[in-house]
Amino acid sequence: MTRVTQAGPGPAPPALLLEVSGLDVAYGGIPALSGLSLSVEAGSIVTVIGPNGAGKSTLLGAIMGVLPSRGGIRFDGAPLAGQDIEERVNAGMALVPEKRELFASMTVQDNLRLGGFRHRAEGRAAAARAIDAVFDLFPRLRERRRQTAGTLSGGERQMLAMGRALMARPRLLMLDEPSLGLAPLVVRDIFRTITALRGTGVAILLIEQNARAALQVADYGYVLETGRMTMQGDAASLAADGRIVEMYLGPQGGR
Amino acid sequence: MRPGPLRLPLLLAAGCALLPWLPGLPPYWITLADYIGVAAIVAVGLVVLTGVGGMTSFGQASFLGFGAYATAILSARYGVSPWLALPVSLAVSAAAALLIGAVTLRLSGHYLALGTLAWGVALYYTFANLDFFGRNDGIAGIAPLHVGGLALVDPRWSFTVIWLGVGLAVLATRNLLDSRAGRAIRALRGGALAAASFGVDTPRARMLAFVYAAVLAAFAGWLYAHLQRSVNPTPFGINASIEYLLMAVVGGAAHIGGALLGAALVTVFNDLLQDWLPRLLGHQGNYETIVFGAVLVLVLQASPQGLWPHLARLWRWRAPVRRVVDAAAPPLPRRALPARGTPILEVAGLRKNFGGLVAVGGLDFAVAAGEIVGLIGPNGAGKSTTFNLLTGVAAASGGSVRFQGRPLAGLPARAVAALGVARSFQHVRLVAGMSVIENVAIGAHLRGHAGAFSALLRTDRAEETLLFAEAARQLARVGLAEAADRPADSLALGQQRIVEIARALCLDPVLLLLDEPAAGLRHHEKQALAALLTRLREEGVAILLVEHDMEFVMTLADRLVVMDFGTKLAEGPPEAVRRDPAVIEAYLGSVA
Repeated sequence: MTRVTQAGPGPAPPALLLEVSGLDVAYGGIPALSGLSLSVEAGSIVTVIGPNGAGKSTLLGAIMGVLPSRGGIRFDGAPLAGQDIEERVNAGMALVPEKRELFASMTVQDNLRLGGFRHRAEGRAAAARAIDAVFDLFPRLRERRRQTAGTLSGGERQMLAMGRALMARPRLLMLDEPSLGLAPLVVRDIFRTITALRGTGVAILLIEQNARAALQVADYGYVLETGRMTMQGDAASLAADGRIVEMYLGPQGGR
Repeated sequence: MRPGPLRLPLLLAAGCALLPWLPGLPPYWITLADYIGVAAIVAVGLVVLTGVGGMTSFGQASFLGFGAYATAILSARYGVSPWLALPVSLAVSAAAALLIGAVTLRLSGHYLALGTLAWGVALYYTFANLDFFGRNDGIAGIAPLHVGGLALVDPRWSFTVIWLGVGLAVLATRNLLDSRAGRAIRALRGGALAAASFGVDTPRARMLAFVYAAVLAAFAGWLYAHLQRSVNPTPFGINASIEYLLMAVVGGAAHIGGALLGAALVTVFNDLLQDWLPRLLGHQGNYETIVFGAVLVLVLQASPQGLWPHLARLWRWRAPVRRVVDAAAPPLPRRALPARGTPILEVAGLRKNFGGLVAVGGLDFAVAAGEIVGLIGPNGAGKSTTFNLLTGVAAASGGSVRFQGRPLAGLPARAVAALGVARSFQHVRLVAGMSVIENVAIGAHLRGHAGAFSALLRTDRAEETLLFAEAARQLARVGLAEAADRPADSLALGQQRIVEIARALCLDPVLLLLDEPAAGLRHHEKQALAALLTRLREEGVAILLVEHDMEFVMTLADRLVVMDFGTKLAEGPPEAVRRDPAVIEAYLGSVA
């Protein structure tokens, strides 16, 4: 593995929120990920870039517990082995999948309510406040709150998927291709939101086709190619690396 | 279902045919195995209809009835030889299926299931109440099967005949599913819209699956009648229909082997329960139904795809499925592409209303041969709806679309495809269980002609070789040759979009409509795609592209059409559009 820059160990190393080590995932005997390691510090943004089919979505699926995996995943210091998806959500993890997977026949508001399912004991008033907070982040959703999710445009669907995940008040938000299929203006909104979320203390693990934008908002980055991490380093130095530019970014100037 | 792992069921069927001649086998077992064989044939039909085609039938036993009654009447009343009665049995059942199918197959989902339930009940009472069918007493005195002078009355003979029949049914079904017509049936579940967009006549594919399953059931009915030597309505009622469905589901409705396994398990288990439970629990009450139900729930809980996949996994572990493609096969004939610059697509005043909502409100633009036009605009501006209007997937509310001068109004998707219009979809529409190369081969559907009969007889092999060579060529062209044999749904989403492009190229298109082809692709993957599209443009293909990646579309497109709220906001060369204040305001944002 090439280390572009040594992530210099500071005087007091920040707490690792997510720590993946030696992760193996296989589909029907064919390895998809092998010996993968990755870590996310609390409150930071980490991005994983790499070609299609390298296993990026598989990685998020394995961390969330959607896919079976072998190896160590620790969240907030505690091993996740044997925990199901519900327990992982309760521990503070949330995944916004590539296909959004909204509850298409339910209203925007009900999608959000279900997102906050783990806080159901806190009562209606708390839920309403949480929904309001999501509406403040995505004002467009407030306008659409009584519309069914299936009738939303692509950008609104992504906002709803993110809002629904945030309703669980996660400490780690995993985003799989948030800008997929979105118009340039909306992409900008989504990235603005990602930056804004960092201010609230949520750590974000980001997979994004627009590698340039991803490396701009991220603190740290990994390059995943054919199931292995081939490079890692802080985002700025990855963005300057010649091979990364050629493979994933393209010449500066175009967006 | 994949065409590969079939040697196992075939060997099983052939081995079974010889089994009863082993000395010392209890005759009762042989009789039981006879019933398993008859049921297996019906269940194989249900695999095609329900497991593969996605149409649930609660009336399959009626078709068994058509086959059985036809041969019973001919043989017992008119002394016709069973062998001569066989084609009549099959034809009667096929005709009934065509008639019933013409009415019921317009329904889908649970409405279709309820429809089959209705005619299943109706036909049972028809058999039970008409003098012609002997009412509840049925028809007795049916001749046994005979070969030359030898009457096959010995249960060991009927066993051999029945299991040869099972082998025949398995072979025919394998041949059917691994063919042009079979791919159309396999695309029905989840991929019908995409299949129609590549020229597949989907209602016809549904009918084919329905009639095929009915013919297999009639074949089983014919065997049953001559095995039993008498028929009455009971085995052709709703309970029997449900039991056949159960066999397919427990065994694994998507697999031919599952039908055999399910037929064996359900028949044996039923028999064991009827035998043992009264001894354990006394003679009152139908405890076997309760125990049977409980076990069924447990099996389906543990293994919702049925039990066959577990067995098949052991087998496939030793022999991975690979389709052999003849790289030296000559290319399929191509249509002559019009000269570059010839008008291909002319859209004028195109409108689409959904109730009060105007999705497309009077759109005008044109695409010429050898030109790439980008259709851009905010999410929800009506771009994908426009694609659906152009390809006959949705009907326009107004305006006109002309393709090579010819109006497209009123043409269904498959007719538009036949003219040379190929497309990809915003949300990937590949057939999930099918391999990548088979999915791509659906794109070449209109460049082949083989139907179900040549599939059954395997006279379609030469054409299949050509179709798959073409599919492999297009797959290599988009850089996914390596993935040919993988299940389509195992690819990353971006790769699945590229598979859709290979499928579209297989149609040999005059006009190519691509909906966000670059979405999810990385920089160098986009470069490869751009190079491919540039080559197609040089060949004279007209390309219309919906895309949000501005770098990609700006460098590639000759012209851009910008949509907002269903109407055209701007049109022109990329540099002009990029500077258009209205476009910046609505779509690009200030720094683009």
